[in-house]
Amino acid sequence: MRWQGHDPRHFRDLLIEITKREIKARYKQSILGYAWVIVVPLLNITVLTLVFSYFVRIPTGNIPYPVFLFTGLIPWTFTANSLISSTSSLVGNSSLITKIYLPTEVFPISTVLTKFIDFFLTVLIGVVLVLIFGIKLHPLLIYLPLIFVVQFLLTLGVSFFLSALNVFYRDIENVMGVMVTIWMYLSPVLYPQELIPTSLLPIYNLNPMASILGAYRNTILYGVPPAWPSFIYSMTVSLLIFIAGLLFFKHRSRYFADVI
Amino acid sequence: MDENNAIEFIDVGKRFRRGRKLLLKEALIDIFKPNPTEWFWALKDVDFTIKKGETIGVIGPNGSGKSTILKLTSGFMIPDRGNIIVNGKVSPLIELGAGFHPELTGAENLILNGVILGLTRKEVEKRFDSIVDFAEIRDFINTPVKHYSSGMYMRLGFSIAVHTDPDILLVDEILAVGDSSFQKKSFTKMQEFKKRGVTIVFVSHNLEAVNKFCDRVIYMENAEVKGDGSPKEIIEAYKRKQR
Repeated sequence: MRWQGHDPRHFRDLLIEITKREIKARYKQSILGYAWVIVVPLLNITVLTLVFSYFVRIPTGNIPYPVFLFTGLIPWTFTANSLISSTSSLVGNSSLITKIYLPTEVFPISTVLTKFIDFFLTVLIGVVLVLIFGIKLHPLLIYLPLIFVVQFLLTLGVSFFLSALNVFYRDIENVMGVMVTIWMYLSPVLYPQELIPTSLLPIYNLNPMASILGAYRNTILYGVPPAWPSFIYSMTVSLLIFIAGLLFFKHRSRYFADVI
Repeated sequence: MDENNAIEFIDVGKRFRRGRKLLLKEALIDIFKPNPTEWFWALKDVDFTIKKGETIGVIGPNGSGKSTILKLTSGFMIPDRGNIIVNGKVSPLIELGAGFHPELTGAENLILNGVILGLTRKEVEKRFDSIVDFAEIRDFINTPVKHYSSGMYMRLGFSIAVHTDPDILLVDEILAVGDSSFQKKSFTKMQEFKKRGVTIVFVSHNLEAVNKFCDRVIYMENAEVKGDGSPKEIIEAYKRKQR
């Protein structure tokens, strides 16, 4: 009976066009335009490097702090920005949701895809820097796509929950900034996991983001594979959150037009 | 279901919350009430069948449930009671240009809106020239729509919506907007759809247009169907009630 959304080709086209709209519209009427995608993380890294390697010293072994920071902060930024933007993605498109029959999951998915493109561009810059500094790339980097897929599923799953909940309780978007900051401090973004006392590690590692970030650093900085036990735990949790998030979203989406 | 029917409403009810009891304070007070949520029914026991190719007018005072019928037919709202069967591709002419982004050009918005209304990108591209010509905005197609006049904006929205090849067209007061030449043009287009056998549900306060254009009229009042029959008879009854 419902023809839209049941055609995967249409869903794909819809997702692409909505994502393109986000990207095209975002930096219109600004001078730097899309360069902002790279300027903001660079500014962030500069400030954090000043704070954490000059004023407060965080030991990172023989890895220079900016390099250490880059490998954690750039992936983290993808998750943080995705969550903050996707939370309001449905409410921001209420004019469509209350007028046209649409598969509403395109809104959080396209938001996360937009942030993925930002992430991808920043990573390209990172690769160029690595090549300029002559740092050798080792074969273990083939793990990076796997690590990213796990992070992507986790991020999208949480985005499904947050965007759907925010339709019913707008409190979510007010509290997101703080929640994301708390999650960052609970994850090894600014500091290495070695700073956590061993007795607390079992609790610390319940956070699926901990071993995802650890896996990025393992492969990029130290040339060792991800720590499998905790990484497999993160894979499982991420997949479960993704499935649960999608089901929750699908169920709630029947009432979006009533309350939004 | 009967293959000849385009839309069936079977004892449909739709309710909304009266006000939003979300604040913690209110929620706490509600615990002590026997029936915490107050509902109001936007539709009660609405039952009708629309055959393929019929043109139906829906009339009634504001707040009688006319727009809710359109929303339920579109499918983004679901009924709380009863059942709705829709047989065919629905295109809503409800708010023209919903989803237009002011910063994007006419051409960019055309593709985006076509896809939002259910076409694949290829299908939109195939219709591109015909949409632009019908909307008469060839010279401004690469201008951001924020610089469009409201007439241009509506013409583009209308043109995209009518190019989606719907089986069922939902029209909400659309002929009341725009200048007289646009009104005439859109009316001609609707007539063309009618001849082609498209099912049309036409919600309007313009009783004259309803009388001229529709085969049958449904009269809504207080969330219920108060009349269903030939335009002349139903409009007559409605006018008597209004007086």
